[in-house]
Amino acid sequence: MSGVTRSQLRIPQSSDYKEVSNLSNQAQASPALLGVGILGAGPATQAIHLPSLARLGDLLEVRHIMDVDPAVAETVAGRVGANFSTSMDELLADPAVDIVAICSPHQFHAAQVIASCRAGKKAVLCEKPFAMNGEEAARISAVSAETGVPIIVGAMHTFDPGWLAAEEAWEDLPEHVHTIRSSIVLPPNPRFEDFATEIVGRVPVPGRDSTDPDVIKAMLTGGVMGLAIHDLPLVRRFTPDFEAVEVLHAEIVRPFGYVISLRAGNVSIELRAAMNATWEPSWVFEAIGDDAALKIDFTPSYVHAGSATARIRRAGRTTVLGPFGHNGYEGEWRKLAELASGTGQAPSAETLIHDLEFALSIAEAAARRVDTGRTAGTPADEEINA
Amino acid sequence: MTTQLSVYADPKAEAAGAVSAVVASLPLSFGPAAGPSAEVPDVVAVAGHAGWAGRAADAIRSGASGVVVAAPVAEDTAELIGVADSAGAAVVLDQQWAGNAALAESSDNVRRVIAGALEDAVMLDSVAVAAPGTDPAHLLTEQLAVLVGCGMELRNLRVVQRNGNGYTVAGVLAGGTPVALQGILTSALPATASVTVLTSTGRADVVLPDPAAAWPAEVRVVTAEGATTLPTLYESSHRTSWARAHATVTSGKPANDLVRFAAVTSLLNQLTS
Repeated sequence: MSGVTRSQLRIPQSSDYKEVSNLSNQAQASPALLGVGILGAGPATQAIHLPSLARLGDLLEVRHIMDVDPAVAETVAGRVGANFSTSMDELLADPAVDIVAICSPHQFHAAQVIASCRAGKKAVLCEKPFAMNGEEAARISAVSAETGVPIIVGAMHTFDPGWLAAEEAWEDLPEHVHTIRSSIVLPPNPRFEDFATEIVGRVPVPGRDSTDPDVIKAMLTGGVMGLAIHDLPLVRRFTPDFEAVEVLHAEIVRPFGYVISLRAGNVSIELRAAMNATWEPSWVFEAIGDDAALKIDFTPSYVHAGSATARIRRAGRTTVLGPFGHNGYEGEWRKLAELASGTGQAPSAETLIHDLEFALSIAEAAARRVDTGRTAGTPADEEINA
Repeated sequence: MTTQLSVYADPKAEAAGAVSAVVASLPLSFGPAAGPSAEVPDVVAVAGHAGWAGRAADAIRSGASGVVVAAPVAEDTAELIGVADSAGAAVVLDQQWAGNAALAESSDNVRRVIAGALEDAVMLDSVAVAAPGTDPAHLLTEQLAVLVGCGMELRNLRVVQRNGNGYTVAGVLAGGTPVALQGILTSALPATASVTVLTSTGRADVVLPDPAAAWPAEVRVVTAEGATTLPTLYESSHRTSWARAHATVTSGKPANDLVRFAAVTSLLNQLTS
């Protein structure tokens, strides 16, 4: 399906006014904007990426939106004056698209990342997880190396200025951390989606029997791959023996959440999450050693409530870093703009693969702990995005 | 008029419970006894290291009307209960977090908050922090004392992991709600115990401070209507315990401490059996 053209629907951007004002002096005109194409126009695109991109109108411009639901594609594209389509190929063939964001269901991620790299785009953002197994991850890595297209995975906390400031300040802390905690309490996503935008095409979450072992396994897998995965790259920074990670305990929290205990070498890792009906979100990451400790309070997803605030404690002294003016989602897009412009350093493929393998091994081992006596019939992962 | 009771603390008890400073902050209630060989003190401070139950029983047999045990480790108290009952003596346990004024039986508002949250709990998460070198078993004893003091009925406790840096214990509340306890040894964080009850619509948090100073406990509850922080009580758990000891000795009403402590040791036995 062909979409309407950009010229028919184009909404004036802040950069247009800048260009107009500079007409008499082209040498001072803004650099060309980078074009963004988005695969999948669900709530994450509507409530996270479009509002983030709207804050970066001097760098990036949404030019093409694809969704399998043509009405959703058209409506969402119409908000930003972009082309729309229902096929990936059409979006990838659009020469106005420099950067591809993959926000489709998990099972399509790997194929779409590979296709985007092969289409010669300048950079790719893939929502987490970027693959569902190690084989897919290796294929992506090979294609990225072959094509030179940089890939970023949407683990937003790794792009949060609060986290990045802590990383610069923590000195030798990672060598001494023996305990890690990730504690997440969030209301259901719609509460914050509705603060961020006006959603179309929202699909209600189906009811489930959380006493069914298969449902429990899916909740654990979905909890790790949809929620904990935001913090697992952070956990891995303090876990040199990440390949030796063991799941010691895993259980669900109702209506959705988990209590998971891990050990990786000498590091104890505790993951806690609950999505209840609270109005007060809380997202805390802690890395603790004998003499120093890091605590980061992240802002809730969806709304642009600034960055995390990091606190590093040593010998009775606390260093506070942040909050800064933007969150990790905006940080992702700033990074993509750098990469697509030929500056900046992309995360290594090895880092992305190790992050994925770490998450997958935890998700699989957590689910295995649910002793169902069955070896098949596990439903697809629940996609719990936050 | 307040009855002043004489107090004796040997050096180990003094170190464990900061007895002199605490007694000095209750000058009408307590005064120092001349020494161990002088007249029998009304109240004897006992250090809580191994063997404390025997030392406390000896003090009562020697005529003390009450004993205050600082930081008691887990041990059998059956004989002590018998001795105290026979003599009509009070035994008060000065535990670093469970002894905090916020958890005192007189703190109805805190108890109401916790009880309300427990009725609707979806997860209980508790973290206890102590300095490196602390015996993890003692840390767990102190943490469980907090939870018992909060009126929580813990079941099916099991050790998930334990090492030189701390421990993780899993269990459930009466209705099957997950319970996650963690002990962490570090000098980077204050020696606090936190209890978080997540509910279907909010949470209740109790953070109990190090008794080395009169930092207040923080008690906060979140419901659909908003968040409430309960009034702060700037009193260390040591002082609260001694004030309780005075009230118990002078009123003659028995303290409940040993019964609660038996509940704690019962939970510890679950973990080691």
